[in-house]
Amino acid sequence: MARPIRFDLTRRAVLGAGAALFAGPGRAQVAPLSVFAAASLKPALDEIATDWDGPVALSYGGSGTVARQVASGAPADLVVLAATDWMDWLGGQGALAGSVQAVAGNRLVLAGPPGAAALTLTGAGIAARLGPAGRFAMGDPISVPAGRYGQQALETLGLWSDLRRRAILAENVRAALAYVARGDVDLGLVYRSDVRGTGAVEVAAVPTNTHQPIIYPAAIVRGASPQAGAFLAHLRAATPVFVRHGFDPVPAA
Amino acid sequence: MIDLPPEAWDALRLSLRVSTVATLLSLPLALWVAHVLARGRFRGRGLLDAVVHLPLVLPPVVTGYALLLLFSRTGPVGALLEPLGLGLAFRWTGAALAAAVMGFPLMVRAIRLAIEAVDPKLEEAAATLGASPARVWVTVTLPLIAPGILAGMTLGFAKAFGEFGATITFVASIPGETRTLPSAIYAFLQVPGADAPLRGLVLIAVAVAIGAVLVSNWLAPRVAARVAGR
Repeated sequence: MARPIRFDLTRRAVLGAGAALFAGPGRAQVAPLSVFAAASLKPALDEIATDWDGPVALSYGGSGTVARQVASGAPADLVVLAATDWMDWLGGQGALAGSVQAVAGNRLVLAGPPGAAALTLTGAGIAARLGPAGRFAMGDPISVPAGRYGQQALETLGLWSDLRRRAILAENVRAALAYVARGDVDLGLVYRSDVRGTGAVEVAAVPTNTHQPIIYPAAIVRGASPQAGAFLAHLRAATPVFVRHGFDPVPAA
Repeated sequence: MIDLPPEAWDALRLSLRVSTVATLLSLPLALWVAHVLARGRFRGRGLLDAVVHLPLVLPPVVTGYALLLLFSRTGPVGALLEPLGLGLAFRWTGAALAAAVMGFPLMVRAIRLAIEAVDPKLEEAAATLGASPARVWVTVTLPLIAPGILAGMTLGFAKAFGEFGATITFVASIPGETRTLPSAIYAFLQVPGADAPLRGLVLIAVAVAIGAVLVSNWLAPRVAARVAGR
């Protein structure tokens, strides 16, 4: 008699597990506000969302990926990117409902592996740190905003023509930082906000006047929920949180 | 004619070089492993089979990360190679290694199936007539499994040509050095208004993939016919 019972228990367990897998999430009282944002904003936006009274669903990706998703009709109420060119592109696609507003700024730094000493941002200083065959990591200037700002900065400093052949171009700025944090390379050109909590250390600040201002633009998506405007105001008022996470206030135009 | 920016042509050239080198380098080892798996009777054969199949079932990013841990200058193998100037991380040779690793299981599978289909009596007959094992292999086994080797090389090449996840993790995306065609497609996806070069690159990728299969399908019966002595 024991066997049929055991079989029955097994069958119930399997059916129960199946039901649990395919059951959707419980129906929420309020539909969450959906925010699509650039990956580099994650630590700050996660915190800012918890200060909002209501559910917020945050989806992160590279600016280009996020912009294409929103243009293809992803269920987003608000979009926050790391680059104004992608936001302009979204506007051109007719995907935005309101004006574009900056919510934060950022700055570039040279980062080194854990325990690296500070250096002076000159050709000699960088060459000494890299050695004869060393290379440094940065975002790909073609496709990564941080890489484009980084190339501008190195050009302004007169270092790009010497250093470009030693650049390891990563598909996003966080991948470049990961190479540095693991010690695969001695230097990386990354956002200051990214360096925190990775083990990598800032070894030199890049002057902000060497490149276009780094701005994070936000906008309401066409067909968004009515709360989207209030959440955008909440973002613009959250400057202290952004600053605590290593971002800059919105640069004065 | 497809109108592409020069960096797209660079990516295509690099992809062809990387895939060709990967395929040719894999072939001897793939032949040997396929033989061992098809005919070997030893402890640990199942384990070898599992290891060979790993790149096929693991997420490509994991394979790339494993290669980076091994071959970066802080890794056990990279620490030996980098001082000699033979480092693979972030270089085109590393892209070829990643492509070879990813294509390897497909190559081994095709060759192994061909070996298992060979009638051992043919080889035994040659041996009884006084042929050395090496001569038996060159004159009897090799012609019989040639179509399988060809199919394996084609599959391995196509897989190497389309490899993205392991490559970008292990060697990043450096123009002219490690930016293969799939990496270039990924980069252009992140550029607003780059849809024209994107379409050209996608067309090339599709054309090469289909072309590889067509070439293989055209060659295989002809090789098989020659083997059969028709």
